[in-house]
Amino acid sequence: MASVRDLRDRIRSLRNTQQITKAMKQVAGAKIRRAEQLQAQSRPYADALAAMLQDLLAAVGSVNHPFMKPGNPEAPLGVILLTSDKGLAGAFNANLIRMADLLQRAQPDVTWYAIGNKGRNAVKRFAQDTAATWSLSTQDKLLTAQACAQQVSDDFTNGKIRGVSLISPKFVSTLVQRPQNRTILPIAREETTAAATSEKPRGAVEFEPSPELVLSRLLPKYLEFTLYAAMLETDAAFFAAQLVAMNNATENAKKMIDQLTIVMNNARQAAITTEILEIVGGAEALAK
Amino acid sequence: MAKTIPFALITPTAIVCDSEAELVIAPGAEGEVGILPQHAPYLTALKPGVLRINLVDGDTQRRLELATSSGFLQALPNRVVVIVDAAFEPNQIDVDSAKADLEAATKRQQAANGDLTLYHREQEKIDFAQAKLTVASHSSMLAN
Repeated sequence: MASVRDLRDRIRSLRNTQQITKAMKQVAGAKIRRAEQLQAQSRPYADALAAMLQDLLAAVGSVNHPFMKPGNPEAPLGVILLTSDKGLAGAFNANLIRMADLLQRAQPDVTWYAIGNKGRNAVKRFAQDTAATWSLSTQDKLLTAQACAQQVSDDFTNGKIRGVSLISPKFVSTLVQRPQNRTILPIAREETTAAATSEKPRGAVEFEPSPELVLSRLLPKYLEFTLYAAMLETDAAFFAAQLVAMNNATENAKKMIDQLTIVMNNARQAAITTEILEIVGGAEALAK
Repeated sequence: MAKTIPFALITPTAIVCDSEAELVIAPGAEGEVGILPQHAPYLTALKPGVLRINLVDGDTQRRLELATSSGFLQALPNRVVVIVDAAFEPNQIDVDSAKADLEAATKRQQAANGDLTLYHREQEKIDFAQAKLTVASHSSMLAN
């Protein structure tokens, strides 16, 4: 049996761990709120963008933009893996990476892009060619989204990749974040109109310079914003996962402290009992 | 006839401005466009430039001037919406960094060497930096 002092040391170190996990939990809680706020602030933009896109698509008959046509069928598929930069969030990143890994096994012909350091490291492990990577937690996420959108759309229009998929977490609730895989290039016509608000068509609309030209400027913006929104969602989902993971860690530490305290008390009592028995035994031996 | 129309300027991070406007002058891709109330339904691409709005709040009028990046303007029967990546009011503009941006982008554009995509990308940055400087200089003129 471990000595009382050893047990006391272990309990002390557990308390320290508990304090750290508790602090991280509180920080994650505050950061979720911030991330959700950013998401809410981006919604008016999303609505306006979707409404404009809907009007445009209604105005142009057949769309002749490279983003809406299938890409070079011989080229590899481009996949963007979106993860967080840091860990300590349970299986959050592992789930995303597993999804990417399964895809890699099923379809070895993939060009990888990664946003988030965890994804970058994973992709470097299982794939030979990574086209480009970015960090998630930068000052200006919009710039990162723009850089990434530009990179994948250039590769797509130049025929280096046949399409672009995005693996990112879906923020279902604080307790549940599910990885999802969706195609973002070529852009499906139905998808864009489904995202629009249910306002009715507004009749004849004038476009300047021309509907096709406005559309050719709007589609890259749409792509950029899709990535930006996904990055915000990743952030919110990550902090939610971290909150849950740190909450569990704090509770587990508490359980272990309680158990070890009992063991320590037993050990201390045993030591006292032994000592008393020794004294009594010694006294009796002297009395004889 | 309605003299004003609700106007909203929206970026991915915030609603920069949401109020009644009398006149909106925006840097359209094909030249400046002025939007008055009761404009026909209209949608245009904007290039980086200076966005001017005559705002009306009750009886008081206010002229707002912002440097905006590329984006879009849509005039609807009941409102005017502008969406851009970024919009800066005069007091948010860092003149020195705008000057540095302008210089760097001009250099990169000169080095583009016939790469049209790169040329246009740098042109956008040049336009945005110039718009920032214009807005900043206007406001400092007014202050003096």
